Amino acid sequence: METPRSPSYEVADAFEANELFQDNGWTDGLPIVPPTETLVARFLSAVGLAPDAIVGVEPVRRRRVPAEKVAIAAVMAGCRPDYLPVVLAAVRAMCEPEFGLHGVTASTGGSAPLVVVNGPVRLSLGMNATHNVLGNGSRPNATIGRALRLFILNVLGGIPGQLDRSTLGHPGKFTFCLAEDEEDSPWLPLATERGMAPGASAVTVFAVESPHQIMNEWTHEPRDIAETYAAAIRANMLTYSIWSGNYAVVVPKQHRQIFAEAGWSKKDLRECVHERARVSRREWRTVGKSAVAPRKDEDVVYTALRSPDDLLVVAAGGPAGGFAAILPPWYGRKSLAVTKGIDA
Amino acid sequence: MTLRVLDPRLSAEGEAARLAAPLASLDGALVGLLDNAKIGTARFYDYLETMLRERYRVREVIRRRKPDSSRPVPPELLGELSAADAIVSGIGD
Repeated sequence: METPRSPSYEVADAFEANELFQDNGWTDGLPIVPPTETLVARFLSAVGLAPDAIVGVEPVRRRRVPAEKVAIAAVMAGCRPDYLPVVLAAVRAMCEPEFGLHGVTASTGGSAPLVVVNGPVRLSLGMNATHNVLGNGSRPNATIGRALRLFILNVLGGIPGQLDRSTLGHPGKFTFCLAEDEEDSPWLPLATERGMAPGASAVTVFAVESPHQIMNEWTHEPRDIAETYAAAIRANMLTYSIWSGNYAVVVPKQHRQIFAEAGWSKKDLRECVHERARVSRREWRTVGKSAVAPRKDEDVVYTALRSPDDLLVVAAGGPAGGFAAILPPWYGRKSLAVTKGIDA
Repeated sequence: MTLRVLDPRLSAEGEAARLAAPLASLDGALVGLLDNAKIGTARFYDYLETMLRERYRVREVIRRRKPDSSRPVPPELLGELSAADAIVSGIGD
């Protein structure tokens, strides 16, 4: 076992370890699994990394992230050692400059990193892609997402009221991770669409505001479903932020069947939403934003997506119900989704 | 049997930032105003610039605006401010 690089503390038992972490603000408010020297070493050994191996560098404050700190966060969150490659891939993705980790962490906008997992690793870890997919109940979904939050809290100093200046935040700031339902989808997986080799395990990380659930169970027309998605996005453009960037949409099986029967690919859906998710500046006047509408030409049309490729289409959710979710970006293109392969 | 748990935090690397020595007076000074590109900063700096010139008799004010509020200041923009005796940097909203 390599000597840990982090300072250590001796505590009487697991209860006292949790008390220490709670008292120091080193957790999210929920109890932790104590990151003992032995457990952290076991996690690092599972991925063959030395404690001081640099996983990534946060580009603004130039924090060089050692593997040991990521392993500590994963232990604390309740991960198993075989989840660590997914957590490490997500950390690497968040350290890419286009993700804008510092901005999304510090902003009053209060976004959270959403993690979408693709590839065989979903099955080997037993990740959930179906019932209650954006909610509770799956250990890998819950703890992988939570590990990233604990990493942001302790490694980046994303402490609410300190570096984290969120006005509201949202529940996804405890954990926000799902798998795509590749086995029950007619479509290419998200990571494959974004350039990963078919069959590769990968994460896509995207800083999102709270999910907005929509319902349309009264049509068999794919365009109708796409219109409902676009309407939710237009509402977000008017009531939250008009700026274009990535959006994600989680498409449930009931909607996927309608798209599949009509021969719509993910690309067809992206193109339709790109065409329809547009607002003019003038429409701000209908939602109480008359004060800012005239600052520029009010007839200019703004698109939610810079191009159809900006829409992340994720097949997930339980088998019944015409419920989908729109996940808006933190702030236009200031933070973009990043896809990274998982080193298994 | 006791447990030995590891500290989850990452300490900042390098030297701690130090405040520059304060100017004895703003009279005749060259002051830089770095705008963080937030919506209210320009108006606030308009007021501040007037105050600096009229009440504190600064010689010159150099104003620069970051291209992106959530990213660091580009080095060339910092270079343009480097001649200033003092710089006011906007943070937050």
